[in-house]
Amino acid sequence: MSEVRALGVPLDSIASCFEGVIPASMCSCSREGLPNVTFLSIVHRMDENHVGLSFQFFNKTRKNIHENPRAQLIVVTPGTADQYRLDLRYLRTETDGPGFDRMRARLEAVASQTGMSRVFRLRGMDVYEVLDCRSVNQEGRSEIVSHADSIRELEAFTGRLDNCEGLDALLSTALEALADLFGHRHSFVMFPDEDGTRLYTGASYGFDPSGVGSEVVIGEGMLGLSAARRSVVRVTNLALDKVVARAVRSGIEHRGEESILDKEIPLPGLPDVRSQLVLPLLSRNRLLGVLCLQSADPGRFLESDERVMQIVARHLAASMASTMAAGSAEPKVAALQSDTAPAASHSVIKHYRSDDSIFIDDAYLTKGIPGRLFWKLLQAFVGTGRAAFTNKEIRLDASMGLPDIKDNLEARLILLRRRLDERCEFMRLIPAGRGRLHLDVRRSLALEELP
Amino acid sequence: MVGTRDSELVPELVRAWGPRVSQDRKHISVCVATAAGAKTIANLQDNGRVAVTFALPANSNAIQVWGRCIGTGRPHRDDLAAVQAHRDAFAEVNKDIGVPPPFINALWQRELAGSPAMVRIRFVAEQIFNQTPGPDAGSRL
Repeated sequence: MSEVRALGVPLDSIASCFEGVIPASMCSCSREGLPNVTFLSIVHRMDENHVGLSFQFFNKTRKNIHENPRAQLIVVTPGTADQYRLDLRYLRTETDGPGFDRMRARLEAVASQTGMSRVFRLRGMDVYEVLDCRSVNQEGRSEIVSHADSIRELEAFTGRLDNCEGLDALLSTALEALADLFGHRHSFVMFPDEDGTRLYTGASYGFDPSGVGSEVVIGEGMLGLSAARRSVVRVTNLALDKVVARAVRSGIEHRGEESILDKEIPLPGLPDVRSQLVLPLLSRNRLLGVLCLQSADPGRFLESDERVMQIVARHLAASMASTMAAGSAEPKVAALQSDTAPAASHSVIKHYRSDDSIFIDDAYLTKGIPGRLFWKLLQAFVGTGRAAFTNKEIRLDASMGLPDIKDNLEARLILLRRRLDERCEFMRLIPAGRGRLHLDVRRSLALEELP
Repeated sequence: MVGTRDSELVPELVRAWGPRVSQDRKHISVCVATAAGAKTIANLQDNGRVAVTFALPANSNAIQVWGRCIGTGRPHRDDLAAVQAHRDAFAEVNKDIGVPPPFINALWQRELAGSPAMVRIRFVAEQIFNQTPGPDAGSRL
């Protein structure tokens, strides 16, 4: 390792230049003395004297740095538009390690989202020693680095979660607190399904409509890859990433090589999302879900935000695991009779056995496990008048034919509850505390089972 | 962006504004901030080798021109008008990728904060390459 060299401008003081909000430029030079200029989307600040650049394609830059290791970068501060020159010397190419893994996670997540997984491949991270860093402008003014530690906000966040009973309340409180305390006004939590193939949205904040129930495939796109790899995925200018991806796509189509392209995957949430931070929610290495923060502004989630949100995600996951375990241990409580007399109006609920989809007066409500659960509750309600249920009896009811969903049950019930809140005016599923549910129905119902 | 190198093959970059093609289509000119471009000008006076990349942010379409400098000096009125037109257009097209116009204004105002002077670089294009990201990047045009 080279000795630490004091730079004209410390890299730490211009950290935001390395967030990928504004593309960097690079100049290399061949042995024959021909300069070459390119644009870069990722410049990874490894430490005070080293940066890592993505190596995806064999090109002139690659040829040049092996002939002549000297290069120069210009990076731009997103806030102030100050520019800095970094004089570099190529050292080596890494194909593993934390820096490479981090770069690959981001690159592959964006590639998957834009249908370019077979095009954008990180071959390595080229490591350069930074010989000097100085301002391009005569009156250089390196940004003041904020060392705000967010301790107060974190303390308040954990305090609010302490008072929550049940998964639904926990998630609602957490997402609201992210907006109140940290200013993250658009967030959602997705849960994995039973067989670990999909994620579906179970709670959201700051979206209209809520997006609850939207799904992505685990292993695809930024959300799916974060879940599959259990790694954080952060993008700071998705609009720029998409423009580059579309340019590459257009070039590939022009050559008639469409077979290596996949479809661009729709991203749940904001239609004009530019910044996104996806954090896996892990408890003892078990995936409970992912927390996703979005913003329409580029550069909204920086490295410092990621660190703070990692703490938030870990605390939220621990709280979720604890809440789910408490729910599993609930004693069975006596079933209650409905205290709500159905009104005079009438609705038909249809259940299709083929996919457990539920339609209320021919309007789709849900399908899959939540559909099967709801059908069971409705059958009990219409057949016997029961309106009160416990999580535990549902979990243990063999006649439901449910897979081994264990502590995932509550996540399914949250989805069902939110769907009813959004799509049905006369039925609600109300959490009654300590693992109990109350089905509130304000119409007479006719059930119809179909193949 | 303009790339040059010194006699030790050490590269140097600077942002350029207001590209113009001469009426006889034999050379191209761009303007750079005098203070920010001091090393660039020195390099061009030393060896004349220059690489200039032109990119459209809205769709990432880009070309790179390799050439030889045939002169540096004070920009004419038409050059400065091209600089202004370039800045205005650059601010407009960057809106689509989430970069607000005030940021683009700040970008060039910061370049000229120490000195408003600009210098014009005239060069002859020798080779032109496709620089749009994708399978054809680097191919000769």
